[in-house]
Amino acid sequence: MAEVTLKNIKKVYPIGDTEKKQRKALKKSKEENPESNKANLQITDEGVVAVQEFSLDIKDKEFVVLVGPSGCGKSTTLRMVAGLEEITSGELYIDGNLVNSVEPKDRDIAMVFQTYALYPHMTVRDNMAYSLKIKKLPKEEIEAKVNEAAEILDITQYLDRKPKALSGGQRQRVAIGRAIVRDPKVLLMDEPLSNLDAKLRNQMRSEIIKLRQRINTTFIYVTHDQTEAMTLGDRIVVMKDGFIQQIGTPQEVYDHPSNLFVSGFIGTPQMNYFDAKLEVENGKYVVNTDGYKVVLSEEKQVRLKEKDVKPQDVTLGVRPDHIVLSENGLKGKVDVSELMGPSCHLHMTVDGKDVIAIVPTEGKKVDYVNKEVDFGFNGNVCHIFSKEDEKNLEY
Amino acid sequence: MNSNANRNAKIKLFISRFVVYAILIFLAFLCLFFFWLMFVNSTRSNAQLQSGFALFPKENFLKNFYNAWHDGTIDIPTGMKNSFIVAICSALLTTYFSALTAYGTYVYNFRFKKAVHLFILAIMMIPSQVSAVGFIQLAFKFHLTNKLWLLIVPSIAAPAVYFYMRQYLQATLPLEMVEAARIDGSNEFRIFNQIVLPIMKPAMAVQMIFSFVGSWNNYFMPSLLLNDAKKKTVPVMIGTLRSADFTKFDMGKVYMLMLMAILPVMVIYIILSKSIIKGVTSGSVKG
Ligand SMILES: Nc1ncnc2c1ncn2[C@@H]1O[C@H](COP(=O)(O)OP(=O)(O)O)[C@@H](O)[C@H]1O
Ligand SMILES: [Mg+2]
Repeated sequence: MAEVTLKNIKKVYPIGDTEKKQRKALKKSKEENPESNKANLQITDEGVVAVQEFSLDIKDKEFVVLVGPSGCGKSTTLRMVAGLEEITSGELYIDGNLVNSVEPKDRDIAMVFQTYALYPHMTVRDNMAYSLKIKKLPKEEIEAKVNEAAEILDITQYLDRKPKALSGGQRQRVAIGRAIVRDPKVLLMDEPLSNLDAKLRNQMRSEIIKLRQRINTTFIYVTHDQTEAMTLGDRIVVMKDGFIQQIGTPQEVYDHPSNLFVSGFIGTPQMNYFDAKLEVENGKYVVNTDGYKVVLSEEKQVRLKEKDVKPQDVTLGVRPDHIVLSENGLKGKVDVSELMGPSCHLHMTVDGKDVIAIVPTEGKKVDYVNKEVDFGFNGNVCHIFSKEDEKNLEY
Repeated sequence: MNSNANRNAKIKLFISRFVVYAILIFLAFLCLFFFWLMFVNSTRSNAQLQSGFALFPKENFLKNFYNAWHDGTIDIPTGMKNSFIVAICSALLTTYFSALTAYGTYVYNFRFKKAVHLFILAIMMIPSQVSAVGFIQLAFKFHLTNKLWLLIVPSIAAPAVYFYMRQYLQATLPLEMVEAARIDGSNEFRIFNQIVLPIMKPAMAVQMIFSFVGSWNNYFMPSLLLNDAKKKTVPVMIGTLRSADFTKFDMGKVYMLMLMAILPVMVIYIILSKSIIKGVTSGSVKG
């Protein structure tokens, strides 16, 4: 029920003892071995810079997912929106109001924590009613709201139990229930599914999709799991080392990763990379991988021309699903072949590098293991990254 | 062969159990025997007590009780009342404020937080008798003797209780729960009273027993600060018996007084130990 706008948000934590030690160790290893480029970008003189230059416009009722590896600043960002963490600089608007120094309780947000954080001494009903009781709502209204939320989450039969007597999945539902009874403007979730086992996680994921259809509110969801991000988000924000790497719909991020990191982080199995040369032949851009030349597709030609990209050494990325076995092309030796039903994952070694290809089995049983295979790819699935700054050369 | 080995093992187990139980019974006997003797003695008249040792109760319980309760030199009902006021107030205030302090240094981040924590712990190193000297001088300077609150107030600052509470919080209270309550709209005091205190119930119960007993049995400070008969606590009253007139000395009454003095401690222990056990089985909820 509200837009959320983050403008150039930055968060610096004061440096603690562990960080001090880390820095010292880093300095020492630098002195001993000046070439090593081991560096923790986030620990600087001002402190631990957890998030910086974070700007994002979240539309009303949008489902935005923050995704990135552990320690990239997702939780910090979410906690700043919640008001649990002070914003070092930048501006945060909820529903058009600047809320930088507004208390969490006055922001009209709700949050679901990874560890659930249920109140152990209260029943499920009291857990869910707590915020409403504080708001001093009439008893009947509280009762009605709790029952409604319990119904949505299918926990009506547990309302009089204590959290201790519930399974992990049920506790998670209660935690979500506690958040939605209040009809918050913004619903924040910090890795809500990562304490559940794989099966339950898949189930809860689809429940969250359903939940989203039933309650109309703005969602900000944090996860380190790219599958969750891809399946849940209207838009996803990929983060690394405190910086936003890319913002886009799942499709955009998957099809047009803005840099090497995003291309590798989104999509499983991971994208394959080759050292290649970008060349121009007859006025057309061509990628040359060890003599295997692929002419890029028209749209890529246009985009590269617009940016006036010069021929250069590049990192070529191709997703496993886009690799096809063909007569002539690159050669690889298959080490492992995993049958996945309709398709088969081939793990190959090409020039000492691992390459994964997903090939359709088409009902035939083919044994690739320890065989040499030829493979190629088309010009429309090539992702071309600069060797210098790892950016996608098209954008 | 096999059954023989089996039998040997059984005999060994039996012997070791027998020894263990024998030791335990002996220890339990040692602990309880003197309580029993005190009870028995409180049922004997002065003459019966002079005649020697007895293992079984006699018939003078009510008479001794009547004598003790209506003693001319010491006013036991008033003593009991005073002792209760001091002990209960100290126990409640000590545990509440220690828990509050522990919560403060655990949950909030502020400058010199570590220094504050260490300072409080450092106070634990100073024997209370040392600081008491200054305190008593102060009390006399300001003419504050014979005030019960003077016994209660200093006991509120209890570093050892603080330390215990802090450790307990660290082990049982995830910070996320506090944050969840904040987001639910609770203010900080309400979080402490409605979320944190219930979680700390077992720790509170343990410390309440300790500080109740400590305060109930305290003789040192009250004996120095209280000299008005109307304000004396039970231990101070019993202490005055030593200087009482020997010709009127009734040992049965003295034993009865002692029994009365320890009874409340036992009752409090029995009441609170229930909630300790209840509390231990309900920790915080994690994944
Ligand atoms: N309270 C804190 N004090 C100091 N540094 C912190 C604190 N919380 C998080 N950090 C640091 O900030 C960075 C981002 O943390 P976080 O937002 O929790 O990452 P994520 O949730 O993406 O795994 C990490 O490098 C982490 O070490
Ligand atoms: Mg996190």
